[in-house]
Order: sequence, then C-alpha cells, then structure tokens
Amino acid sequence: MGDSTHADDTGEVNNRRRFLQQVATVSGSLPFAPGLAAGAAAGALAGAAQAQTAPATAPPPGPKVNDVYGYNSFSPDEAAFVETLVNTMCPADEYTPNGVDCGLAIYIDRQLAGAYGKGYKRYMRAPFAEGLPQQGPQLPLTPEQHFKAGVAAANDAAKARSNKTFDQFTPTEADAFLKDLGAGKVKQGELDLAYWFNGIVYPLFTQACFADPIYGGNYDKVFWRMIGYPGLPATHTIDMVEFRGKPFPGAKDPKSIADFS
Amino acid sequence: MKTLNKRTVVIVGGGLTAGLIARQLTDKGVEVVVLERGGDHTDGAEAKLPTQRDELRWDVRQGLVQDWSVQTYSLRYHRQDVALPVRWMEAFLPGEGMGGAANHWNGHTWRWAEYDPVLRSHHVQRYGAKAIPADMPLQDWGVTYKELEPYHDLFECLFGLSGKAGNIGGQVQAGGNPFEAPRRGEYPQKALESTEAGLVFKELATRLGYHPFPTPAANSSGPYTNPDGQKLGQCQYCGHCERFICEAKAKGSPEVLLYPMLRERKGFEIRLHTHVLGVNYDSRTKRATGVRYLDLMTGQEYEQPADVVVLAAFTMTNTKLLLTSKIGKPYDPVSNSGVVGKNFCYQTNSGVNLFFKDRWFNPYLATGSTQMVMDDFNNDNFDHAGLGFLGGGGIGASQFGGRPINSRRLPPGTPQWGTAWKKANADWYAHSMAMGIQGSCYPHRENYLSLDPSYTDAYGQPLLRMTFDFRDNELKMSEWVTRKMEDMAKAAGADIVGPAVPRKSPFDTRQYQSTHVTGGTVMGTDPKTSVVSPHLQHWDAQNLFVVGASVYPHNSGYNPTGPLAALALRLGDDLVRYVARPGMLS
Repeated sequence: MGDSTHADDTGEVNNRRRFLQQVATVSGSLPFAPGLAAGAAAGALAGAAQAQTAPATAPPPGPKVNDVYGYNSFSPDEAAFVETLVNTMCPADEYTPNGVDCGLAIYIDRQLAGAYGKGYKRYMRAPFAEGLPQQGPQLPLTPEQHFKAGVAAANDAAKARSNKTFDQFTPTEADAFLKDLGAGKVKQGELDLAYWFNGIVYPLFTQACFADPIYGGNYDKVFWRMIGYPGLPATHTIDMVEFRGKPFPGAKDPKSIADFS
Repeated sequence: MKTLNKRTVVIVGGGLTAGLIARQLTDKGVEVVVLERGGDHTDGAEAKLPTQRDELRWDVRQGLVQDWSVQTYSLRYHRQDVALPVRWMEAFLPGEGMGGAANHWNGHTWRWAEYDPVLRSHHVQRYGAKAIPADMPLQDWGVTYKELEPYHDLFECLFGLSGKAGNIGGQVQAGGNPFEAPRRGEYPQKALESTEAGLVFKELATRLGYHPFPTPAANSSGPYTNPDGQKLGQCQYCGHCERFICEAKAKGSPEVLLYPMLRERKGFEIRLHTHVLGVNYDSRTKRATGVRYLDLMTGQEYEQPADVVVLAAFTMTNTKLLLTSKIGKPYDPVSNSGVVGKNFCYQTNSGVNLFFKDRWFNPYLATGSTQMVMDDFNNDNFDHAGLGFLGGGGIGASQFGGRPINSRRLPPGTPQWGTAWKKANADWYAHSMAMGIQGSCYPHRENYLSLDPSYTDAYGQPLLRMTFDFRDNELKMSEWVTRKMEDMAKAAGADIVGPAVPRKSPFDTRQYQSTHVTGGTVMGTDPKTSVVSPHLQHWDAQNLFVVGASVYPHNSGYNPTGPLAALALRLGDDLVRYVARPGMLS
C-alpha cells in the first residue's frame, strides 16, 4: 500500500494524475512534476509513466486495491472531481486504502452510466414544479444529468472561492468545501447544491463503500471487513443461538457474490 | 379490444388476498381467473443464490417494487395545495408479480385487538362520544373479531406462524402478549429465536413492569407442512428477508404456499403481465360486467366479462380502479359526503438507537420478524383519559438483517465521512441496536385519496392523489409514546442513547416508514360512510367485492396482514355462497 493522494496537508491533491499520465505517456509531455504524479492507484499506463522516473521495485505488501480503470460516464474533469471527492471522504488510513483504491469512483461512474443514472423506474412526466423536500425529487434531470450538473456547479463555486477547481484543493480545503456543500453554504447558479450533495452524492458514496464488490466499490470487501459484516450466503439457524451476544467468526472473512459465482 | 368468454370470478391483483380467495373458491369447484400485472419471481435472480443476497439491487434500487415510471402517486398535504407526483417513493413499497408485496414482506402477522373492528363503539363506551374528535371519522367495521377468529386461525395454520400465545380462550399466557385478542390455541410453531437486541429489550421491559413477547412471524421457525400439504423450510436468519424473496422458501409467501398449489387445481388460471385498466360497470342494473386489461406481452387490450369481480390489489390500486371506473361516489371532504377515497391512513412510527460497547448484537443474524415487542402503550391498551389523543404504538426492538448500506447505526455527532466516520462504523456496527414504535394512524377528515387532475400514469390514466399528513392526533400520540420509549432506552444501560424523535409533519416520502397504507374503500354498515358492506360487497354493485387494507376504516398499531388475510378467506367462503345464490350477503 502506497501513499494516499493526500500525502500531506499542503500538497496539491492531484487526482487528474492518472488521466494526465496516460496522456503524457501517449503525448510525451507530463504537465506535473513526477513526485506529485506518484500514487498507489496508478494503473498500467500510469505505471509505465512512473517507470520513467523511478527505479522499478516490487510493490510493498498491503491490501489489494482497485484494478479496474477507465470511466464509462465521467469526462476527465468529472473524473478528477470524483476522485478527489472519494479520496477526501475516504482517505487512506488504518481502516481502508483511499477512495479510488477502494473502487469508489468506479462504483459511482458505473451507477451513473447504468440504469440508476438513466432514471430507471423514476416517474419523469411533466409538469415539473418545486415542492417541499419531503415530496421527493422533482427535477426533470436523470440522476446522471443531475450529478454532472452538480459537479460543474461545484467546480464553478470552487473557482469562485479560491480560483482553483475542486481537484486542486488541499485535503483540508476539499474537506471543508464538502462540509459546506452538505450544509447548504455553497451557492452557485440555479442548482440546489445542498440537495445535490446530500440527495445524490452522499448516498452514492455510502453505497460505493458498502454494496457488494460486484458493483465496483468496496474493493476486496474492505468495508465489510472493516465493520465485521460477514456478507453472504448465510445459513445462520445454528449461529443465531451459538453466537448470540458473542463475536461471530465469519465477520472476519466476508463472502461476496463473486465468491459464490 | 377483444372480448373474451365470460368467467365466473375474476380477481384483480395476484397477491396474498387473491391467493387466499382462490383457495376457498377452487376448493368448492368455483372457477377463478387472476389478473396480475407482474411476472413469476420463482426462478429469477431475486429468488436464487447468490444474486438474492444483493442489498443494492433488491433493497436500495427497489428491484421487487412497483415501477414508479409506470405508476406512482401524487401527494399534497392539504386540499388547498397542488399535488406533486412522488417520482421516487421510499416511504412505502408496493410489490409486483405473483404474490405481490407478500413476497418481499417482513412476515409480522398480528391479530389486531379485539376492539379494533368496533373501535368507534369501544371509544364511545370507554370515554364517551365527545372523546372522538369531530374530524376523526372512526367507524366500526360491521364484523367482530369473534366472527373473524376462525379465519385468523386458518390463515395462521396455512402460513405456519411462529409465535407465543398470550391469550388462549381468555387465559393470559406467560411469555405471550397479555393484550392479545383471545385465541383458540397456541401458534402453529414455536417463536423464532430471539436476537441479542431482543434479549436486551425483554430484560428491560420486564424490569420496568411491561409485558414483552416475540412478534408473531410468518418466518418459519422450523420445517413446516401446512394443512394443504404445502411446505416451508426452516428460517436461516440470513438477514435478506424483508425487501427480498426468501430463497430458502422459509417465509410464508403466496408464491410458495398458495400459487403453486392453485396452478395445479382445475378451474384456476393466473394471467401474468396483465395490467387491469378498469372495471366495466352497468349503472342501470348496478352490476360490474367484467374488467378491461392490457396484455403486457402483446399490447392487446381485452375485455374479460365475469359474473363476479373482486378487487384484491394493493390499497392504492383498489381505490384508483373504483375512481377511474366511476363506481361509488368519490369522497368530498368539504361537504363530508361520498365514500371512495376516505379514511386514508398510514402508520405513525419513530425510533431510537442504543449503543453498548461491550455487547455483541451481530445485526446480520436475523430475519424479517426477529423482534421483541410490547403492547402496553399500543392502541387503547392504556387509559387515554386526559391525554388529548387516541391511539398508541407497539414499542419493540427489531433486528432484521444489518445490511450494511442502509442498516448501520452511528452515534449522534459522528462525522459523515473520513477516518472518524470509519472508526465509528467499525466500533458500533456490531455493538448497536434500535428500539422502535409502530404507531396507529386514525382517520382524519382531510386525509383522503382522489384522482389527480394533472398527472397520468404510463397508460394515460390519472395518478391517484394522496391528500395526507400526520394531523394533531397522530403528532400528539407519537410525542407521548416516543417519550415512553425514550425513558425505556435511557434505562437500558447503554453507553450512548441516540435522540428519540417523535414523528413529525410533513409526511416524508424520502424515508421508508412502512408499506401499511390503508383505507380508501372502507367497510362498514352504512352505505353513506362505507364503500363495501361488512361482507366486502360493494354497495353500488352487488357482484363487485373489494378486499385488502383498503377496507380498513383506520390503521392500528399493528401490521395489516392478519385481518386482511382473515377477511380474504372469509370472502372466499362468502363468494361460494354468492355464486350459488347471488344477492346482498348478510
């Protein structure tokens, strides 16, 4: 396990690195200093880029990290935003690798590219009007459109605040900015960014952490192991009695859909 | 539109009640056609391992729930407001497919209080007529618990209920619910195993002088064969029960216990993927002549003539079909006249989280009905004199599966993300439990269902419109009972007790509370205040019957399944009589 992208509190959080490194590999130009471009989540192409500046050494032993690369739905700017978001909300620490390495960005991308993002099962007929929050979502946007509109507005707000896009924030700045988004303290354009963050982004984040790894997040069941959720399948008729009020051994070795497929 | 050959009994909706009615009818040789908009889940990914154990797909993304893009409901809080469509509903979750919502239900199966079917008379007798607010149209059902008891007993045997009796023939039984309506005997099976949370609650409630007992459950505590020879497996406490189909066939469900048997019976037919568009009604003869439906597999519209039509769909659909088919007078809250859509009720719920550093709750060792509960503050089990409200709620400790996306509990003040958030999840996931209240919701003059003037469904028909909120009575009740629960929680010895927040207005569609919406086609003895008779016969069309929670004039602090199943079985027997000799049943 390598460093978090939040290596320190003053360094720029460089979540465009993979994409830019890929571009660099192709184009031969690398816009960022090699030190800033290093990271644990580097993919095959990025790895090749790193190899130009660092001696090849065996990776240190550590938890398995996401090895799925390439986004279905995100533009490069959106990918940079989301990678910073998930690494801010899920920093590498004693519990898990960083959000990108946990597959959280892949999860969000795949959900937005799929049925959920396209508004499957959602009533979308006109007329559209604003109601109380308790009446539920009323925007004529699909979740994917809504997500992307929010990313653009949040980036505009970030630029207005400090002349940087969100992915260029320091970890402290990024964390404070997300808190402000959730608390309704960030206003930008017509979109309600508090509703966007709390109603769209945050649920995707927690799902990314705790859904079955088959959806791309919760890589290697890391969040299940963290809380001690044994996963599935489970026949607990005897466990119910035997482990009532006691630690359940299966919680240390969770099973997912892929383990039984 | 093609017109088909006439059939004897056509039932709209292929869920629990339809299956029970069809059981009674086909047993006596009366032919039945059931029209169900969804398909057969039996061999789908939703009913097989490992895909069945997918919280995101079946729970979060509502894989077994009604398709809101096809059919949803609009909502306003006051009749002066313009309603908006609920574009993605979380508050309640109707099912689709053979078996209906009784595939993805929890399994809690109550007999309601002995006084519930005579709730108005009961309150008048105990507190005087003035105790019932003018805007609370409580009414008796026109049927007594005693008349329903044999059908409760039959349903409990058919679905292999697991529980502990609290009242056998008037004798209170230790370990059961002393407030229970009198039963003829024990439950068919012993109660489910208690969770650790249940043990905490049992000790707490007993210590405080209350009367805890295990919730009666249709989750089979052992292998079971019912009187029809249909089998249930033993519950595996897998934690994927409510919102899921039981792949072990251990949850009492129509697709396990009723439809496979019915499909073998002569005279039974279920047409899947058929969406009923309306009931044909002859206002001159005051008879239903049949139903119109769309075959979703071909796009062909059919008219199915029938001697008898039964509406056995979800609460909302029963009401909508009567309104769109213009059968019965729609309810008008201004003039307080009309009946279709009145007495729309919900459930008034609240909860509190408890955190114990040194106790292991293992929340995934659970099933849909693993709950220890007490009825001491439910309904009218306590004296309401001077309290300023009617009704109450059961207080209990439920643990249904600990599924990690939606069932983690975090102490108040925990950050929403970051290392501290992860630490709190790691620290408390297995060391927390919840107490909750399922509260009654009594009718209010301004809570009703009607057709929306603007929004339509995928077939071009108006959406059903809810005019609903928690009104004063329910808010006061929730405040009072929630404080009782909070006092209990604080005495439980927990390291941290979360906030106990009573139910508040406005009704929040974004938060699951309960699928128990009731009323709209209520039963009663007076055609001026009810849609159907005590025999569930439509007052304006004697060959049209309606069954389900839509016939309840109020909602109790209990899950609705028990009485509606009893009513459905009784209706089946009534229809055998009706087919032989049509007329108003008495």
